Amino acid sequence: MFRTTSGTRRAALFLFVLLLSVVFLLPKQSRGLLQNMGRPIAQLVSFPLEAFSALDRSLRDFWGGYVALHRVAEENRRLHREVEQLRGRNVDLQEMVTASQRLAGLLELKKRVGPRTVAAQVVGRDATNWYRSVVLDKGERDGIRVEMGVMTPDGVVGRVVRTTPFSSVVLLIIDPNNAVTGLIQRTREEGIVEGTVQGRARLKYIPLLSTVRTGDVVVTSGLTGGFPRGVAIGTVTRIDKVEGDLFQSAEIAPEVDFLKYEEVLVITDPRPSGESQKEPALPADSSKGPKP
Amino acid sequence: MKPALYAGLLLGLVPAQATLLRYVEVVGVRPDLCLVAACLAGFLAGELEGLLIGLALGVVQGLFSAGDLWLNVLTKGGVGLLAGLAGRHVTNPTSVSLLAVLAGLSALSGMVVLFAIRSGGGLAAFLLAMRSVLAPEVVLNAAVGTGMYWLIARRVRRQEAIPRGPAGLVG
Repeated sequence: MFRTTSGTRRAALFLFVLLLSVVFLLPKQSRGLLQNMGRPIAQLVSFPLEAFSALDRSLRDFWGGYVALHRVAEENRRLHREVEQLRGRNVDLQEMVTASQRLAGLLELKKRVGPRTVAAQVVGRDATNWYRSVVLDKGERDGIRVEMGVMTPDGVVGRVVRTTPFSSVVLLIIDPNNAVTGLIQRTREEGIVEGTVQGRARLKYIPLLSTVRTGDVVVTSGLTGGFPRGVAIGTVTRIDKVEGDLFQSAEIAPEVDFLKYEEVLVITDPRPSGESQKEPALPADSSKGPKP
Repeated sequence: MKPALYAGLLLGLVPAQATLLRYVEVVGVRPDLCLVAACLAGFLAGELEGLLIGLALGVVQGLFSAGDLWLNVLTKGGVGLLAGLAGRHVTNPTSVSLLAVLAGLSALSGMVVLFAIRSGGGLAAFLLAMRSVLAPEVVLNAAVGTGMYWLIARRVRRQEAIPRGPAGLVG
């Protein structure tokens, strides 16, 4: 249809080989360069992303608040036209109540954790099928940085792995590439919580002599990562002991329902309110902030 | 026309993939529109355009994904380039030939990503990811891409069928 000459084939092959060489020879520099080059593109793309996200929300509202209701209304119309109208209003009100409850919970959590959080809305899912991550509508301009923890009133959601000026990508705790230090609330033993391919989480490296049992709650240890101590991660549902292994592991059912949440809090500073206030101010020449 | 189409793809494809495509996901897997677009561009317009479109789409997709940026850029660029090379050897491009190319390149790209991100997860995790993500994605990509190709080919055939005057205007 639109064939090219052999010269362009050579050019294409040369360009691809050149890119491959750059990636393998200068991995760190090339990654930074690409991230910086992508920044203006990400800014441009954030506008259609917002638009598509709004369309997505409208579709969800339409489906949940109209199409599903329409079926009920068709049955009711034959019986009571008035009931249909009331039901329509009821759905709207219920939606408002649910939203206000959700936001009140978020506000309550924000008060409890302190002012060092940024509320953000989930506007999309990972652009590929290979990672379990979500896209937030807040980015570097709102103080969000890589490695910051993300939570809801229910518990840990994940951590920020990529930021652009207007958006950020959060790798969920159920992704196999994610790892957060966890603590069994009852026994106070620590381990590492990793995601599984099946979309659950697993607490690894629990000492063999641990008395961990199903139903135990796992919380963040606060030692590493962007989380304060004691944020709920999940509940132990199964314990796996393999003969000859030095440690045991436990499967965890996460507290957060990863299909339903719409608003999250990004923890910009995981330290308790008092600690960060007591800390001396940074010297005037320290333009770079503390490492996350 | 073409630059506008490519600009539209660059700005609209990834947001659509991240938001609206969950309505068409099958077993939790969505078609990779960027891969399909890179493959179609390569197959129809040649390897250089396929490579450039693939690279650009890879950058945008990588910015809204948790994965490594380069992995996305190189796999999408590679798919565009290979689709162009494959298209060169097809004398009469049909939906079936594109289906085979798309399925093959989707599988290849998926394997590269899997080797890169699941290399330490053990064979069981690797096989599970192949079965639960790679296989459905290959099928979805092939189906979506072939459908799009069929639509494009139909439109081109229809345009070619319109008789034109000596000045190239529709007569």
